Amino acid sequence: MVTVLFYILAGLAIACAISCVYHKNPLFSAVSLIGVFISLACIYLTLSAPFIAVTQILVYAGAIMVLVIFVIMLLNLDEDSPHTNLAYLYGFGGGLGVLLIGQALFVFYAVNRAGQKSVESTAAGQTSSIGKAMYTEYLLPVEIVGILLLMAIVGAMIMSRRLREPSVAASSEE
Amino acid sequence: MNTFLLADLANPNVVIQTVLPEMILAVTGIFIMVYDSYVPGKQKVTATLSLIGLAASAVALYMLWVEPLTFASGFNGMILTDVIRLSFTAVFILVAALTILISTVWVDNEKVPAGEYHVLVLFATVGMMFMASGNDMVIIFLGLETLSIATYVMAGMRKTDLRSNESAMKYFILGSYASAFLLYGMALIYGATGSTNITEIAASVGSATFPALLLVGGALLLIGFGFKVATVPFHVWTPDVYEGAPTPITGFMAAGPKAAGFASFLRVFVLGFPLVAGGVAAQYLHESWVTALAVIAILTTTVGNFAAIVQNNVKRMLAYSSIAHAGYALVGFVGAGVAATAAARDEAIAAVAFYMLTYAITNLGAFAVITLLARKNDRRTDFEDYNGIGFKSPVLSFTLSLFMLSLLGLPLTAGFIGKVLVFRPALEAGQTLLTVMVVVAVVNTAVSAYYYLRLIVVMFFKERNTDWIAPKIPAAVGVALLVTVLGVFYFGLFSNNVIRAFTSVAEKPAVSASNSK
Repeated sequence: MVTVLFYILAGLAIACAISCVYHKNPLFSAVSLIGVFISLACIYLTLSAPFIAVTQILVYAGAIMVLVIFVIMLLNLDEDSPHTNLAYLYGFGGGLGVLLIGQALFVFYAVNRAGQKSVESTAAGQTSSIGKAMYTEYLLPVEIVGILLLMAIVGAMIMSRRLREPSVAASSEE
Repeated sequence: MNTFLLADLANPNVVIQTVLPEMILAVTGIFIMVYDSYVPGKQKVTATLSLIGLAASAVALYMLWVEPLTFASGFNGMILTDVIRLSFTAVFILVAALTILISTVWVDNEKVPAGEYHVLVLFATVGMMFMASGNDMVIIFLGLETLSIATYVMAGMRKTDLRSNESAMKYFILGSYASAFLLYGMALIYGATGSTNITEIAASVGSATFPALLLVGGALLLIGFGFKVATVPFHVWTPDVYEGAPTPITGFMAAGPKAAGFASFLRVFVLGFPLVAGGVAAQYLHESWVTALAVIAILTTTVGNFAAIVQNNVKRMLAYSSIAHAGYALVGFVGAGVAATAAARDEAIAAVAFYMLTYAITNLGAFAVITLLARKNDRRTDFEDYNGIGFKSPVLSFTLSLFMLSLLGLPLTAGFIGKVLVFRPALEAGQTLLTVMVVVAVVNTAVSAYYYLRLIVVMFFKERNTDWIAPKIPAAVGVALLVTVLGVFYFGLFSNNVIRAFTSVAEKPAVSASNSK
């Protein structure tokens, strides 16, 4: 049952990925990418990792892709015309693809050879166990993340705020 | 899952005292932020508050220093009080305090939002301190990100200046890229050893599940840290970022984040990937990182020094010089990696910390002078702008000359002792590659004389065609200059005291560890 589900979801993910590269309109590509993320999230669910599945949808399919679509629509991009002068990139991309396939095959080989370890408890991917670990064992990192986010907000405010004096750099010579 | 009992929960092992220096600074930062939102733009008040916070943090650090054993570790071993943490944290506090003093002139001249700026400096310092104290990859990464984000923003704080925008943008994009390498490396190491704790990683590198993962992870970590401390194949961002950032921030970037990068770099590689007898993978890992870093050190010192020769901008020249200095520190790093005993290793680590201290002091002093001479918006930073100012502003030009001589490594100055101390451990190892590395570093020190002395020659012996009015030295910058000049002489003449203080920390935990067993 799970195997059948895996093949369906993996096929969906691959189909969406191909559609993402194939479409000339960036908006369609972005929507196909959401399809990839959602099918990946479903695969995580079948692997009993609900937390990662939800995060995948919330962060990638939700927040990040919404941003991407906003940018595409605000910039009003036209359909991509083929770049003839970038033809050499096809070779480069193809080489990179071969490399990635090689890496995946190597991982299969290495894992098969080293023998598989079963995860001790099935609770590892549960949201509650992650929450427990975060607020007990990993209390200090969570607190540091608090400082990090606070500071990132301050930084974003400084960068985006309008200047009081716009002509500071109008460099009048001494 | 419904039986959510308190007894099930792991003990967070909160030991407030171990993170007291970090906590004090973070709280000071938040306090300044709140204060600034009610009474904005009071640069004197926020600067004073920051300095008070730094002083309090230094006191907390001193208390840890006196009794490193009482609070040796906390938070399930995520925080460790040892020679790396204590010595580097002292450097960070000093760097932050000097940066705040030096930047007063910039904040005043260019109407920088003082409150936010001081908050960023303090939070960046918190990040640096966690990078030195974190004994867990998670803490190290979070500290690094805290530091980096603060630095990206500070590099771009001169918003109307294109060079500053370029600096912030480049630093941000390349820095995020390097962080990704680092994170990927950490994930692979976790996969290979099953832990993010450095001590546990060191214990299990000998029996790693997937040796290949261990090696690839180590290589990725090397790239990530190599970027952060600006070693040669990963140094290309440095000159542009350092040139474009406001001068006090450049000084901070060259002194603080570089030292922080070295602190975590040392902890992960020297303490995390030690030579384990019997483990083939661990042996191979240790051998390859030592060799890789030795080659990188040779490249870094050579490229840094030769590229510095052809620069016409003082900030760019010091950027390449900072690359070269990262190379010298790497020599000590490799020395720590090949040290035969734990005591020798801690001594080499203390030498690297001392080197970063002397470099920070000298460099911040130099950037203080450059800030004053550059005037508003850093317009005067070319070598030509220094023509013949020697006797028109003797205080500034003599102090700048002193800093140049210390960077060069003239005896009696801090730079000399620092170099001797970092070169010695690698030389004592007696391996051919390491000896070559030390020889190259020493030869490069001689090469560096060209561009350091060139600035002195330009200041004292060139004619000046245009009028030039010596800048006034504000009190805060005067204090910073006094501290750095005294520091250069003190560390040059009485370096033993500092080294003893650094290594005394190392001895105490070592004794306790053997007692407890």
